[in-house]
Amino acid sequence: MSLLLNKISFKPTEEYHLNDISLRFDSGKMYTILGRTLSGKTTLLKTIAGLQTPDSGSINFDDTDFLSIPVWKRNVAMVYQQFINYPHLNVRDNIAFPLKQRKMDENLIESEVQEAMEKVGLIGFESRKIQELSGGQQQRVALARSLAKKAKILLLDEPLVNLDYKLREGLREEFKKLFNVSDESNSILIYASTDPLEAMQLNGDIIVIDEGKILQSGTAKDVFENPATAKVAEITNDPAMNINKCLIQDNSLIMNDSVQIQIPDQLKSIPNGKYLVGIRATDIYLDDQGFAFDLEISEISGSETFLHLRNNNLKCVATIEEVKTYNTNEVVKINFDKSKIYLFEESGELRHSPYQ
Amino acid sequence: MNFKHKYVFLLPGLIVLIGILIFPIIFTVRLSLSGWNSFNPGLDFIGLKNYIRLFTDDPRFWQSFFRLSFLAITTVFLQYIIGFALAHMVWKDIKFKRFFRVLFLIPMMTTPVIMTVIWRTFFHESLGPLNDFLSIFGVQPPWLSSPGLAKVSIIVVEVWQWTSFMFLLMLAGLLSLPKEPFLAAAVDGASPFKKFIYVTFPLMAPISIGAIIIRLIEASKIMDTVFVLTSGGPGTSTETSSFFIFIKGLREFQMGYAATASFTYLIIMIISLTIIVKVLTKVLMRE
Repeated sequence: MSLLLNKISFKPTEEYHLNDISLRFDSGKMYTILGRTLSGKTTLLKTIAGLQTPDSGSINFDDTDFLSIPVWKRNVAMVYQQFINYPHLNVRDNIAFPLKQRKMDENLIESEVQEAMEKVGLIGFESRKIQELSGGQQQRVALARSLAKKAKILLLDEPLVNLDYKLREGLREEFKKLFNVSDESNSILIYASTDPLEAMQLNGDIIVIDEGKILQSGTAKDVFENPATAKVAEITNDPAMNINKCLIQDNSLIMNDSVQIQIPDQLKSIPNGKYLVGIRATDIYLDDQGFAFDLEISEISGSETFLHLRNNNLKCVATIEEVKTYNTNEVVKINFDKSKIYLFEESGELRHSPYQ
Repeated sequence: MNFKHKYVFLLPGLIVLIGILIFPIIFTVRLSLSGWNSFNPGLDFIGLKNYIRLFTDDPRFWQSFFRLSFLAITTVFLQYIIGFALAHMVWKDIKFKRFFRVLFLIPMMTTPVIMTVIWRTFFHESLGPLNDFLSIFGVQPPWLSSPGLAKVSIIVVEVWQWTSFMFLLMLAGLLSLPKEPFLAAAVDGASPFKKFIYVTFPLMAPISIGAIIIRLIEASKIMDTVFVLTSGGPGTSTETSSFFIFIKGLREFQMGYAATASFTYLIIMIISLTIIVKVLTKVLMRE
């Protein structure tokens, strides 16, 4: 069974929310839709669920025309970014809601609800009211509801984004386990996220979307190693990959007047001309013999420090594997890992990847 | 706070409260223990004689009370159903939404007494437009002069006049509902009808209870419609409690006895409304 999206477009205003999207989702697999906010992730999920009707295009699932089926008959489950539950029902009735709609046998409902609650760790909260739960627990209820339904298509729209760091980490681990378990049920799992790290961790197929258009789809490894365009490279890295204009001339790669490097061996075959150079923040390191950059901001994130650097018109972000406080406008000397340099055409397409 | 005169600042409010609420109630109780009538005006003391008369020797009061209960419950029930339906209709995005929202509010903006006069003309047995129309089918029902139909007429007028108010409360309630549960319900497989039964209706329960209680209290005071439309007739077949009290007190000037009826009515209403709220909460909110 597979879900086929064919040339889906949705343009409620002047701008496209979905622009000519064609995708194929196979059952038993997990997909991560990666894109920035307002890139069209939620619209895409809502279109699959049936909460939104596209202007053109078709959706086929299991050889049936999905668009002609109203939302409540589609056998789809969805977990939203906001914790959406039924405020007038307790935890058990919330989870049982979709099952009751199907007029299932009461005993069967009870066992399914128990099973779902066990999976998400809500045992003991059966008769609590939704308002009495914490955010993480509320999202667990929503998740349990979608799991109990055993839908053929499970849509998760940034389910972790509104939770605090620790809960997010914890629930993400559980997600991975849950998905491995639910693989047996042969459902299609579509997870929308803004966080590249999350997408990589979930380790499913990644679909990169921006301004309503699919930029690239493939395995996590493939998207990470060979981003199709400079835009994809920015979206799939956190901090975003540093993309800067450069000139290749006479065996040197010129970023600006003072930042010029000897062309590394693997780039020797590239003809002279204007390109975009891409360097990951993690491929920049401190080097006393390196180039001098002015520090604009430094931010500490966990065990790393992000340095926002500037050399005239050249800007970049570097990730330093230590926690260190810097003074603003301090001069920092850095260098680039030349074996990890990406090159993109001026129009954005990938020209050279270190993993090619 | 060790400020001796702080209670002084309570006085303005307290005086108003005593003047318009507490004094009248106490005076009514005192009045109900007197034999004040047109022959014998003044606050004498006759003990519980009025109460004994009311409870043992006045079926007309109790008939008017049960009639009132019937009218109030029927009209409020109909108002709730129709008002909720209309509100639900213009809740979603439909064409001419604003036009309908205003249209449904017009009855509430009219003056009840004047509208009742118009309804009386409308229902008039030989001159009214309704019977003129019905005569095509060969019937001319005595809308206001048969005991049964007179009650129907009152219900029609009351429902027409006050459904707007119920509509307004229910629409405000619907517009204040969170949108998210409806999204979830659609994806969870609830058809539009089930969505109403399992999501809209339970979410509206607290507002429904409030609206029903407000209307029940209002409907229990029903007086102007009866007064203008049927004057309690034919006979006493449309007489309600407040109309009965009005006749006893201000037509026959049995002030003491009217006070007894009023006070008894007040106590019964407080008790029954409390019970109704409890029952409604239990039924609608499943608590």
